[in-house]
Amino acid sequence: MIAARNLTLAAGARTLLRDVTFEIARGELAVLLGPNGVGKTTLLRALAGVLTPQNGCVAIGAEPIAELHPSQRARLVAHIAAEEIFADRLDVRDVVNTGRYAHHRWWEWREEPRDLQAVNDAMRAVGMETFAQRSFDTLSSGERQRVWLAMALAQEAPVLLLDEPTSHLDIRVAHGILHLLRAQAAAGKTIVCVLHDVNEAAEFADRVLLLGEERLLADGAPDSVFATAALEAAYGMPMERMRTANGAIRVFPAAPAAAQAEQA
Amino acid sequence: MPIRLAGLLAATLVAVLGGLLAGGAFVPADQIFGALLHPHASDTATIVWQLRLPRVIIGAVVGAALAIAGALLQGLLRNPLVDPFLTGVSAGAAVAIVAGMAAGVSAAAVPALGFAAGIATALLVAALARRGAGLDAIRLILAGVSLSSFFSALIALMLTRLQTTDAAPAIIGWLAGSLAGRGWSDLAFAAPYAGAGIVLAAFAVPSLNALRLGEARAASVGVDVARAQWMILASASLLTACAVTLSGTIGFVGLIVPHIARRIGGSDTRFVIPASAMLGAILTIAADAVCRTALAPTEIPIGVLLAFIGVPVFLFLYLRDRRVVA
Repeated sequence: MIAARNLTLAAGARTLLRDVTFEIARGELAVLLGPNGVGKTTLLRALAGVLTPQNGCVAIGAEPIAELHPSQRARLVAHIAAEEIFADRLDVRDVVNTGRYAHHRWWEWREEPRDLQAVNDAMRAVGMETFAQRSFDTLSSGERQRVWLAMALAQEAPVLLLDEPTSHLDIRVAHGILHLLRAQAAAGKTIVCVLHDVNEAAEFADRVLLLGEERLLADGAPDSVFATAALEAAYGMPMERMRTANGAIRVFPAAPAAAQAEQA
Repeated sequence: MPIRLAGLLAATLVAVLGGLLAGGAFVPADQIFGALLHPHASDTATIVWQLRLPRVIIGAVVGAALAIAGALLQGLLRNPLVDPFLTGVSAGAAVAIVAGMAAGVSAAAVPALGFAAGIATALLVAALARRGAGLDAIRLILAGVSLSSFFSALIALMLTRLQTTDAAPAIIGWLAGSLAGRGWSDLAFAAPYAGAGIVLAAFAVPSLNALRLGEARAASVGVDVARAQWMILASASLLTACAVTLSGTIGFVGLIVPHIARRIGGSDTRFVIPASAMLGAILTIAADAVCRTALAPTEIPIGVLLAFIGVPVFLFLYLRDRRVVA
């Protein structure tokens, strides 16, 4: 559904990623993992078509994203950036309604029944239907994240890209968001999501793309990626692996004794 | 929203009719409205059609243009303290007009000179504010503010050199802002550019709504951010240049009116832009009526009066509660 082909990405003079290629299928929930500064956000922005790669291209289905008009692109890909700047009195409905931008020509100022339907469906999907009239700036971090998700859903794009949707959230709220993403994947959305918590990825991802050392270090199901030493290579620290009661993998920084043993 | 806009439209019509009643010479209302229907019948018809009506309409155009430009720029830069003169248009126009008046350029050429210089300055500000394909908000503010200061200094220098000549009072009158002595021909000159500015503003309204959430989020919902920025700046510059050409520098309309509009109906740009246009027209017509009649036959410069009324009103409205409304 969304494919990166030989992507090379840079931040200023520094090359972040070289020659990265992968494809995420419809209904798949893929998680981008890797240390701070490795280029996860930049890769997500390239996938969203808001950043031009140094080399290579991104395609949605058969369409190279660089050749799409911004509003065509927005009907295919919804991108939730991590940026949090806000100084306006907007209610939740106004924010979610902004997702409908690409479905209007510039002179079509009125909301159509289709828009109302999409906005209502999106707010229901994230459990925010009773918040429609609430002022956005009175919401908690978790509620805001759900509003951004609703805005992206109102866009009705088949591909969802999310930059750290669970940062600053408590474990219950974070899992609430990730369950919502799982439900959207089950409903047929293609999801690429930057996360920092390895165990959130282990529990919720169909697939993990682990970035490090300017490249894609590993790409596969969480169980297979986390079983290899790629994780140690990416983060530069020893890890300990455990299995939950039902056999799922969990990863933790190695305890000091184990770390010393490993170094010795 | 439509009800509030309809209310504002009715208030604008009332302001236009009220503006026709105000003037140096008292003319009864029934004669004024009679003359409106019979343009060539009497002396009153001449007063109404050649003096009062163009002046009221010019007031409406100037007020609406400044208020729309202010609302556009405040939305674009997500900064409530921005006014239309940030584009550098008024400073550039002022320098050219002061220099032109001092050099004895004929009065008929002054508006065109001011307009051209205003647009040229706006292009310079825009060039300095460029970043990548789009505009950088901080660079735009820095370029606009510093070029405006530079031109103000130039004007001050010219005025100190000119104190003894006949041009000085006319220049000071222009800098203080006035609708005196403007007529249909001035309006005809400015109208096409004002029209183009309004079309561009209408074009930008939906993207301004998305830009309330920041540039990254606007881009992700499908806004061509760079194109929207250029359109908004072009519209604001054209509208401001028209206003400055017609009336000199009238401050505070462009700063305050968008805030009043948001107080009335919220920050949805589909409301704020038309509401600002009508409120700007109402405020300018009303202020001009006071200017003409309060100390008649002397006229108070409208820019001065608006600052006297506008600043306290603004401080009251804006600082009364501690929430920031952008």
